[in-house]
Amino acid sequence: MNSYLPSTPHIQKLWNLQIQVEEKDDDTEESSSEEEEEENKLPRRESMRPKRKRTRDVIKEDDPEPEPEDEETRKAREKERRRRLKRGAEEEEEIDEEELERLKTELDEKRQVIATVKCKPWKMEKKIEVLREAKKFVNENEGALGKGKGKQWFAFKMMMAKKWAKFLRDFENFKAACVPWENKIKAIESQFGSSVASYFLFLRWMYGVNMVLFILTFSLIMLPEYLWGLPYGSLPRKTVPRAEEASAANFGVLYDFNGLAQYSVLFYGYYNNKRTIGWMNFRLPLSYFLVGIMCIGYSFLVVLRAMTKNIGDDGGGDDNTFNFSWKVFTSWDYLIGNPETADNKFNSITMNFREAIIEERAAQVEENIHLIRFLRFLANFFVFLTLGGSGYLIFWAVKRSQEFAQQDPDTLGWWEKNEMNMVMSLLGMFCPTLFDLFAELEDYHPLIALKWLLGRIFALLLGNLYVFILALMDEINNKIEEEKLVKANITLWEANMIKAYNASLSGNSTGPPFFVHPADVPRGPCWETMVGQEFVRLTVSDVLTTYVTILIGDFLRACFVRFCNYCWCWDLEYGYPSYTEFDISGNVLALIFNQGMIWMGSFFAPSLPGINILRLHTSMYFQCWAVMCCNVPEARVFKASRSNNFYLGMLLLILFLSTMPVLYMIVSLPPSFDCGPFSGKNRMFEVIGETLEQDFPSWMAKILRQLSNPGLVIAVVLVMALTIYYLNATAKGQKAANLDLKKKMKQQALENKLRNKKMAAARAAAAAGGH
Amino acid sequence: MGSRSSHAARIPDVDSIRRETGFSQASLIRLYHRFQALDRNEKGYLSRVDLQQIGALAVNPLGDRIIDSFFPDGSLRVDFPGFVRVLAHFRPVDDEDNGNRDPKEPEPLNSRMNKLRFAFQLYDLDRDGKISRHEMLQVLRLMVGVQVTEEQLESIADRTVQEADEDGDGAVSFLEFAKSLEKMNIEQKMSIRILK
Repeated sequence: MNSYLPSTPHIQKLWNLQIQVEEKDDDTEESSSEEEEEENKLPRRESMRPKRKRTRDVIKEDDPEPEPEDEETRKAREKERRRRLKRGAEEEEEIDEEELERLKTELDEKRQVIATVKCKPWKMEKKIEVLREAKKFVNENEGALGKGKGKQWFAFKMMMAKKWAKFLRDFENFKAACVPWENKIKAIESQFGSSVASYFLFLRWMYGVNMVLFILTFSLIMLPEYLWGLPYGSLPRKTVPRAEEASAANFGVLYDFNGLAQYSVLFYGYYNNKRTIGWMNFRLPLSYFLVGIMCIGYSFLVVLRAMTKNIGDDGGGDDNTFNFSWKVFTSWDYLIGNPETADNKFNSITMNFREAIIEERAAQVEENIHLIRFLRFLANFFVFLTLGGSGYLIFWAVKRSQEFAQQDPDTLGWWEKNEMNMVMSLLGMFCPTLFDLFAELEDYHPLIALKWLLGRIFALLLGNLYVFILALMDEINNKIEEEKLVKANITLWEANMIKAYNASLSGNSTGPPFFVHPADVPRGPCWETMVGQEFVRLTVSDVLTTYVTILIGDFLRACFVRFCNYCWCWDLEYGYPSYTEFDISGNVLALIFNQGMIWMGSFFAPSLPGINILRLHTSMYFQCWAVMCCNVPEARVFKASRSNNFYLGMLLLILFLSTMPVLYMIVSLPPSFDCGPFSGKNRMFEVIGETLEQDFPSWMAKILRQLSNPGLVIAVVLVMALTIYYLNATAKGQKAANLDLKKKMKQQALENKLRNKKMAAARAAAAAGGH
Repeated sequence: MGSRSSHAARIPDVDSIRRETGFSQASLIRLYHRFQALDRNEKGYLSRVDLQQIGALAVNPLGDRIIDSFFPDGSLRVDFPGFVRVLAHFRPVDDEDNGNRDPKEPEPLNSRMNKLRFAFQLYDLDRDGKISRHEMLQVLRLMVGVQVTEEQLESIADRTVQEADEDGDGAVSFLEFAKSLEKMNIEQKMSIRILK
């Protein structure tokens, strides 16, 4: 057994020692390189062979001896190696063709040995030795395949390729391990089915988007101002006014985001309008503007990308040719692990089959179509009435609140002050139930009914949004008017101060220099900060409302049902009120609308994405707990993966609707004169022009000015419009061609079926006739 | 659970399993832990009783058949390689895999055809390569139970066979089965996200 080891004893010992030491080092390395070579070079014979159970370190006495060929090839190998070592000194010589061929075949042989040595029935030491030799040979001579001088480089390249592949694989493992909350979502999926889990997946995706927005705003706006800008108290815009100083640190004031919170990096008004700050000459106003635009651009990109990715997934279930086959083979949701959900799934499958049968029958029986159409028309009519009614109610409430704003705030009671909020909340609570009621008339499939419901609640909430924006624009206009007055006042005040100073100076020849504490300077109303504050307050109050609703509506109700059931007349769990189901549509819409608020407000309050990150983070944990603890699976379990594009579509619409006001404000409203990074400019976007003139070489400015020539811009817009039209026409044409081909295929398949049936019948008849 | 390579060394034949199934090291370690968790008495293999403990299989109407698919050829034990081999069918399909693949190698276990073959053998109990109307009826009875009348079940089975059958033999062969599910996104539906 030891005949192949060198005979001299001390070399043998050295050999054994080397084997042990080296094997430990490159165990992982070797196995990966093995795998690489295996995948690249050899056919996979392993999978066909039956696996033998590995019994490590058990040396059986009846191990068969190695085949005699091994000895000979091994000796040949040794000879080759020695010859090569000798020749290795003359590296400059070219290796001729047949040497190259022989080398190649030997290399292949060696690689095969490496791949199969584990399955050979030899002793461990022998396997290790053979493996080492083969690997050494391969490593030394691989480079020889690249001719002559390039040998070293080739070997190096191969080694780098292997290391790179290993690095990529480890990185993939790391990425998969980093995905957050995977276990939680999987647990929810198994208990509630995939429709509820889709909400949490959507939440997690939003968290990712908000994280990017937060990193952008934090690192490029808040951090530079905090590190390199002037500190608190140095400028009027950065200091709490004297009148409010006493209460600036109260919790009530801070909770409203007034006082100290208002005069901090959290809001627009704190930022100074110096063109560059700090030793790096960081251009803060430019960065503020660009980050705002980038956030919007990034959000559009990411939503569109998610939508286009999902379009491919939509290819299941649209085809009607295999309706029943699909229902039989693919109805079960294999992610369900809870018996209760399984029961619900059984029921829903049964309902599905019943519906399919009814649909088949109904397609043949046409008399009810008119009734159904009439009912649906009626339902839509009622919904339209409701939406119109709620719109008018909101409009009336806005008018009244404007009247109240004129009156003295002390004469108003609680209802008058909060009328608008109450009206919107009540509408939000009752209208969805009304919509549900009308949906009974329509009698749609649950998926389609959910879409209609989502669409209608969406239209209702749009009314809320419209009111909010209207109120905001009113406020802004008021503040701009106020600002003009304040500007006039300041000039008067300054004149007074200078007169007083001169008067005090005339008494003494030298006196303290002209100094006014920043807290005493009269301030303009900073409408941007006001806008930012509104959005932040809205977000915070939304969060609290949601959490309180979950606690009371879900948790307390569940406790009540659970514990009072013992002493109640009817069964609380099965009858009213029972446990709540997870309201997917409500939650998704809340998420989408809140995100719209964030997009609208983050230009005026850079802290908003940060607040949202906190909110989403806690929301994830809180809602996961609430779902598992207080909710029951829905009675109608249906797969929601197709609705995901629906949510994303609504998100895109809201994104569009929320960036419009921001862009309008940036482009057409003048920034406040004494707060924010754009103070003193006529319009906010002038910062770009200023940068172009001062920071870029003059020829670039000239070129850009030429580019913004109206003629050129119109030409570009025309070209884009033509391109869109052309692409649209092409797409339509291709869709039509697609449909045509599908029809042809269906025709063909039908014909085939008929023909085969006829042949089968003829064969059967012949067989029957033959007997 | 981490991907510490020292654990990988405890799994026997880890490299050949990796080659055959295409799982990453981290996934294999996770599966090994699961295998050990299911193997209550630390026998080193799983029996039917062990697999029946899994909740999701217990409520599944086809649960028994899925458990049977772990024990090919009527054996009573499944060891770790066999366990992983069945689960390899549910590995998500990686597009890059198909690009670099050597066409002479056998298809990876998680290709679309192999996934469909796995699903097919759940329905084809007698392994004759076809799903007959009778077998379809059995599946329907498992899935729907007593809530639908027998005659409705029979008409559903007839309708299904009629839809998928192309050569008129009254049964659904594997190719017809694959064709009927052509538009279905099998690569996504028959994949478990965490198994990479």
